[in-house]
Amino acid sequence: MTSREVIRLVAGREINQRLRAKSFYISTGLLVLVILAVGVISRLAGGDDAPAQIDVAVVADASVGTVESDDVVAAVQASAAVVDRGATVEFFDDLATAEAALRDGDFDVVLHPAEQQAIFHDDVDDEVLAVAQQAWAQVEVRARLGDAGLEPQQITEALAVAPLAPQVLDGDDETSGVAVLTGTLAAVLLFLSLQTFGTYVLTGVVEEKSSAVVEVLLVRARADQMLAGKIIGIGVAGLAQLVLAIVASMVSLAISGASVPAEVWSALPMTLVWFLGGFALYSTLFALAGSLVSRQEDAQAAAAPIMYALVAAYMLVFIFGYVPDSTASTVMSLIPPITPLLMPMRMAAGAASVVEVVVAVVLLLGTTMAAWKLAARIYEQVLLHRGSRVTWKDAIRLLRSRSGGEHSPK
Amino acid sequence: MLVVDDVTKRFGSLLALDGVGFSVQPGEVVGFLGPNGAGKTTTMRAIMGLVSVDAGHVTWQGSHIDATTRQRFGYMPAERGMYQRMKVRDHLVYYARLSGLSAAAAANMADTWLERLNLTARAGDTVQSLSSGNQQRVQLALALINEPELLVLDEPFSGLDPIAVDTLSEVLREQVANGVALLLSSHQLDLVAEVCSAVVIVDRGRVVLQGEVNELRATSAQRFVEVEFATPTDAVWPGAVVTGGGRRHRISVPDSADPSALFDEARARGHLVGYSFAPPDLSEVFLAAVGRTTVELPGATQ
Repeated sequence: MTSREVIRLVAGREINQRLRAKSFYISTGLLVLVILAVGVISRLAGGDDAPAQIDVAVVADASVGTVESDDVVAAVQASAAVVDRGATVEFFDDLATAEAALRDGDFDVVLHPAEQQAIFHDDVDDEVLAVAQQAWAQVEVRARLGDAGLEPQQITEALAVAPLAPQVLDGDDETSGVAVLTGTLAAVLLFLSLQTFGTYVLTGVVEEKSSAVVEVLLVRARADQMLAGKIIGIGVAGLAQLVLAIVASMVSLAISGASVPAEVWSALPMTLVWFLGGFALYSTLFALAGSLVSRQEDAQAAAAPIMYALVAAYMLVFIFGYVPDSTASTVMSLIPPITPLLMPMRMAAGAASVVEVVVAVVLLLGTTMAAWKLAARIYEQVLLHRGSRVTWKDAIRLLRSRSGGEHSPK
Repeated sequence: MLVVDDVTKRFGSLLALDGVGFSVQPGEVVGFLGPNGAGKTTTMRAIMGLVSVDAGHVTWQGSHIDATTRQRFGYMPAERGMYQRMKVRDHLVYYARLSGLSAAAAANMADTWLERLNLTARAGDTVQSLSSGNQQRVQLALALINEPELLVLDEPFSGLDPIAVDTLSEVLREQVANGVALLLSSHQLDLVAEVCSAVVIVDRGRVVLQGEVNELRATSAQRFVEVEFATPTDAVWPGAVVTGGGRRHRISVPDSADPSALFDEARARGHLVGYSFAPPDLSEVFLAAVGRTTVELPGATQ
């Protein structure tokens, strides 16, 4: 049998075992539900705060005389368009009816031209007021220009002023709230996946060692083949879960109705790539830790240094992820154990250059390969020393003594 | 033929194997005996490539054993080694595939062995839900699933009830009749005497005795006189090692002793209802070989 066939068999078994466990479906289902719920909730919450359109009531009583209603509607809608909102305009004959409708929440503002007032229900909405002011000014100017003898066509041309386009000088302000939220979500998902599926690798390795399964397997397969198969199999299961979580996140974003920057749409699927890199590194280290102990009770203790590293990397995301353009953040995102968690956030914020991403990937892959070589060698050596707990120091000594001439039957 | 030639293995300060050498022919059952810690498991693991030896060689059909050769071996470790949460049939199929069988052949072999070992009804159960006896059968099936040329079984009988022992012995006899070379270790010397044609006895990492079971018994310098009296007696046998008492006495004598003279001596001590003069049984050969009169042998007595 070729090495590839052996690895495929081992990986296939791992995938099968994962897909048969109810817990896998329950945790995946919960994850997807929670993510979708976030989108639904923010849409519902957002619906109150920032309605898409402004409802304006205009009191057109006899005293105003010649209010051109079409002009008013056009002016309000043009002003609202500047702040990306639509507008409806309704006319009332008397103030009391308009105010009652305002109290009922049917309108955002009542314009009362006769008194030159903009009436709000319980608080002044600055944006609505600004829209009203501009619309009012336009209607007034139009009326005065008409009084001055200009033709309507001339007035329209005179008033056709293109709005100013906003420009930002320093990039920081470009980081939208949605990008930060998405980057954080990616970091949380990655942390959960790396932790969950890394632990599967850890307990899987210890299961084999503690139950002597490894004795039976090593007769058929090499230690590195078994390790590779296990990591690939569990990684595929983890990837499947993460794909669902990412798809759910994108659906959730779409549901929420927030305006999503393009970087966010591309950063989310990239999370899968960062998972592969992060999982390769962390699961290799978890497997190494698992190979040092013979009982499940000792597994957590042996894996503690790796778990600490993962948690530390996760916490750094909340320090450096919110200042994605800073030098410190850039440097941190290039450190291999931190890269998979921090880089998605910087990418979602549009702060990571292509060069930085490439360098981070190269460093991550290099470290993973070095860890893999170390793990495969130590794994093989310690598997043959069953029954005792091997410390990290012993493992490294084993490695040295091996290169120092002890031979193994191959 | 399996040849273990002058194999030495040191674990730190412990010399686990000190020039162990023996062979197993195809169609032969060799019992591997020795007190706990004598080096049996280490030797078996060395054969299966699970231990690197410091000196000496292990060969199969004259060649060094590599991964490819090992695919034709079957191995059963002393500790049970199975995925507890895997279903029995899935486990057999998985291991058969790892042993190089195609998917169809693996499924076929799995079903064959499930039926042969009366496990068909448990095929869909997880390993952990089986009794230890049934787990042992699955472990044996794993060792047999690739139709091995050499079987190395580390304590295959431990923890089995008499019915399971019978099934196992029968399966092993059948394998050997088909030309399989079989090396098994056990502390149950009566079973070894029944199943094995030859034994290798190790103690403290060295082979202290090996050969055909009957030949070892016959060439022993020891004979045993067994007498049975009609009524309990506290007769004394000057200068002899005696076990038993009451109605039954068992006296160790040199092989040069005269059976009829001993018979007369016994008759003088009481009314006899039974008398025998025989070579030592395997357990007595074993005890003499390891130089101890009593040895901790878990499960050796019953």
